[in-house]
This record gives sequence, structure tokens and C-alpha cells, in this order.
Amino acid sequence: MIQSLLIANRGEIAVRVIRCCRQMGIRSVIAFSQADRDSLPVRMADDRVCIGPPPSRDSYLNVRNLVTAAVLSHCDAIHPGVGFLAENADFAREVRDAGLIFIGPDPQVIELLGDKIRAKHSARELDIPAIPGSEGSVEDASEAMAAADKIGYPVIVKAAAGGGGKGMRIVRSVSELGDILAVASHEAEKAFSDGTMYLEKYLENPRHVEIQIVADRKGNVVHLGERDCTVQQNHQKLVEESPSMAVDAALRMRMGNDAVRLLKTLGYSGAGTVEFLVQDGKHYFMEVNARVQVEHPVSEMVTGVDIIRQQILAAADLPLEVRQEDVHLSGYAVECRINARSAGKVTRLHVPGGYGVRMDTFLYAGYNVPPWYDHLLAKLIVTGHSRLEGIKRMEGALTELVIEGIATNIEAQKKIIAHPTFRKGNYGTGFLGEVQKEGIL
Amino acid sequence: MELNELYALMEKFEKSGLSELVFKRAGDEICLKKVVTPAAVTSPAVVHVPAAHAPHEVRPPSAESTALRTPGVEVITAPLVGTFYRAAAPDAPPFVDVGDKVKKGKTLCILEAMKLMNEFQAEFDLEIVNILVENGRMVEYGAPLFEVRRA
Repeated sequence: MIQSLLIANRGEIAVRVIRCCRQMGIRSVIAFSQADRDSLPVRMADDRVCIGPPPSRDSYLNVRNLVTAAVLSHCDAIHPGVGFLAENADFAREVRDAGLIFIGPDPQVIELLGDKIRAKHSARELDIPAIPGSEGSVEDASEAMAAADKIGYPVIVKAAAGGGGKGMRIVRSVSELGDILAVASHEAEKAFSDGTMYLEKYLENPRHVEIQIVADRKGNVVHLGERDCTVQQNHQKLVEESPSMAVDAALRMRMGNDAVRLLKTLGYSGAGTVEFLVQDGKHYFMEVNARVQVEHPVSEMVTGVDIIRQQILAAADLPLEVRQEDVHLSGYAVECRINARSAGKVTRLHVPGGYGVRMDTFLYAGYNVPPWYDHLLAKLIVTGHSRLEGIKRMEGALTELVIEGIATNIEAQKKIIAHPTFRKGNYGTGFLGEVQKEGIL
Repeated sequence: MELNELYALMEKFEKSGLSELVFKRAGDEICLKKVVTPAAVTSPAVVHVPAAHAPHEVRPPSAESTALRTPGVEVITAPLVGTFYRAAAPDAPPFVDVGDKVKKGKTLCILEAMKLMNEFQAEFDLEIVNILVENGRMVEYGAPLFEVRRA
């Protein structure tokens, strides 16, 4: 079993991993940048190592300092958290070469899944439905036009190395294609040092539904049902729920089986997410996130499975503690991401509580939110026996939540949760765009 | 299993770094678990942050950091995470000692990171006032290494 774990991350996910380490009797060591010296995970961890100055490229992305810190502080494993180096195959390889355990899948699996074209190809080979698109990358505008003609407009151009909505554009007619492709490719080149593009059929207003997977190194791959992440702003998720209004038992079984088959075939281990778009009761494979995700607590709350714990067990070559036949979605859970709209000192903080309420955060009163990193401050997760009960509980929890001193999106989240379209549940990824047009966000 | 064997196993387990042990042999199955007491949380609300820490002391990522202590004394900090060595080899004399006056370019120490020996040189003519880290110790990014005075 792992004795000491270096956490190569910050914020609420670092707090989450430290809590799990405590539960499992593992010594936690936090790697931190100079901007995070006073942060909650640095105070909570058993040990701490400063690994660089505030800019993440010199600290949280500094492979040499992270690996050296792990070795010299006597760790036997590194948890990459989410973002930063979590899906970086080279980092996973360096960690292994130093004789340490990387908490995540094998480097070659990360590499394959990081290439969205190869990932989609793997899904197709297993007859997993995918969104119709170009067979591989498109080299230039004429190749793109030929592919788009075959698929039918509207199409979406995407970066092979993409993520976070960068290098992604919707094209509605042939006249726009050349220009949009050039801009998106340039954006991808700048963001990922790779301008390779591909094309997909653009589904109008689909649901974004993903399957949570946990897998060990003994061939056990278990899915924990779906999360509906349709409420997105500029491709960034804001509200996530499970189960999804758009998924019935039969569809859940098809999606779950497809996700399990894919990751089993690839020899995947650890926590992972298979993302699908769902429209008219059909699911289309999009991509795999080869790491634990921000919204993992939603699945934890409906299945009772501690996903980070399973991830650590799997990395340590131990079997999963859960079998597929034991997994049942019980009740309903919803998460609101609480994001910062400004940096600065949190002068006052009140965390909501009570039956069915969970808040994962790294905030404390007096903490200075540094301007250098991601805007996620907290994840507020509530459960209910039904969706209505859960949503009502979320309304109450958002009302209780007080963060003073910095600007946040709490008010916007209240409006989303109260919106009649959200309440009815019949919406797609275009929902927030519509809400914004109403001018209430 | 004999009782004395069990006692021996318990004693070994107690001293080991393990938190759980399952032992199976010839129909016997023994599971030993330790109660892990998590380290006490230092509640951020009550932790007193020393005044010196309150404004973030952000040092530039180079060896020419100049956080002033006593007048005229500058501190050279570690530009990377590594193991601090004062000499090129265990039996070699140290690169510098307290009181040494060295020219710009003279090697002050080695920081070993991922099996690479990174030598760090003086970036200006200086006198070594104090050496703040023991030979062979791990240093984190920004750790003070030397107090020096510009010559």
C-alpha cells in the first residue's frame, strides 16, 4: 500500500485528496507555489514542499521540481489532481521513471486518449456510436469542405489536442468554413502547440452526459452511472446532476456498457470519465477524460462510492472495493460550482450545512484568493430523494452560503437553479446562452 | 496457529509501517488493523500567521534574490527543489566557507534534482556571511541558502 503521497495540485481538489489520505492512513505531502503558502491544503497536509514561484508553468507544471520534491520527501506516489499535469503522459512517465506510482492510468493510455482522433477511432472499432465526423484530421480547407459536405452542416471544427473549448468553432455554411478553420487552428496552435483539426457533425442543443468509471489493474472496470453536465457556459460546466433527466434505465445500461467496454479494451485503470452527447434518446461518444473530474462528488453522493479512494487503491495494485452489481443510483445529487469573479481577501465565510449538504472548498475566512489560478472556489453538492427535493435543498444551501470580500457567481447560480427551463429539465447545452439573452445572469 | 506465534505477529505488525495486515495460513485467517490517528488539523481560523508572512513574500526565481536581513546582507535562495551539497564529492573540500570572499562565477553549491547535479555560481563578487543549510539536506524552491555581502 502507498505510505506517502505527494499532491501535485492546489485548491479544493488538494483538500479532497488530503482528506482521503487521512482516511486511508497515508501521509500527505503537498507541493505548493509561493502564492499558495497560506492556503488550506498547505496547512492541512502532513508535510509541504514549495516547488516554485506563482506562475503555474514554473510551479504546478514544473515536472522536475515536483518529482524531486516527491523523492526527497520520501513519497512513493504522486496524485496529479485535476488540470495541470493530470493528463500529461510525459509527466506520468517521469513519475514512473523516478520509481514512483502515478495515481492515474498508464502513460500510453493517457497519450492515446489525449489524442481525440485516436480516442474516437478506438470507440468506433468497438461499434460505440460516435458523432459523424471526418475520418481523422483535416489538412486544409478543401479537405474540410469535402468532409463537411459528406456530414452535412452545421459542423463543429475541433482541435485534436483540444480541451476547455479552445480551438472549437461552429460552422453553419460552406462560405464560413475556410476562415473559421484557420482561426480555430491558430487558436489550437497557440493553446496546445498543435494546430491539428478535425470535423464533427454539430448537434443542435444536445445533452452533455458522462459516465463515471473506476477501474483497477486486475481487469475490473465498474461504471457509477451518469452525470448530466448540460448546464455549460462557453463549454465550461456550471451545474452537474445525477441521474440525468435525459437518460432512462435502458440508455444508462447502453452507455455504461459502452464506457466499460472501451476502457477495458484500452487497459485503463484509476478514475476516468467517458463523455457522450445525448439527443433523442441516442448517445454519441465524444471523448474520455483520463483523470478524476471536478464534478466526481455528484456520483459519489448517489452511489456511496469514494472515487478518490478507489483511484488510490487501483494505483497501489489493489482491487476495487465495489462490483458492478452493487452499484445503484440512489436518489438524486446536484452540484453547483462556485467560481470567483475577482481575486482578493475573503473577509467572511459561511458554509451551508444540514441534511444532504456537502461543500468541498479550500476557502477560509481571511484567506487571500490569489489571481494566478483557476476560478473554482467551492463545489456545493446536495442530495435529495427526488430531483425536486434536491433542487429545493440546493436553493436553500445557496441562500445560506456567504462569501464576502470577493465577487462570486452565487447569485447567478441561484437564478439558474430557479429558472423554469432548468426546473422542467427539458434543455440542451444551449440553455445558458438562452438564459444570458434574457439578461438575468 | 499457536498463541505465541500470534503474539509475535502482533508485535511485528505494531512496529511496522503497515496500517492493515491480512494473514492466511492453513485454515487460519487473521486480520490486524491499526487505528490511524490523523494529524491534528491546525485550524486556519486560529492559526497565527507571523506578520512577516502576511504580505506574500514573492522571491524572484533566481539565485540573486535580495531579501534584506541585516543591512548590506543579501540572501541567496534555491532556484529549484533539490538536495543541497556544499562540495563536489563527499570527500572533497567545500566550495565555499563562511568568511570566504569569492569572485563572480565561482561555484557556491550543487543542487541535485532528478540525478542531475546543478552547480550554482556567484552572480556577483561577494563575501559569504552565513551558510543556512546543512550539507545533504533537501531544499524547497525559494529556501534561503546563503547570506552574502556584495564585495
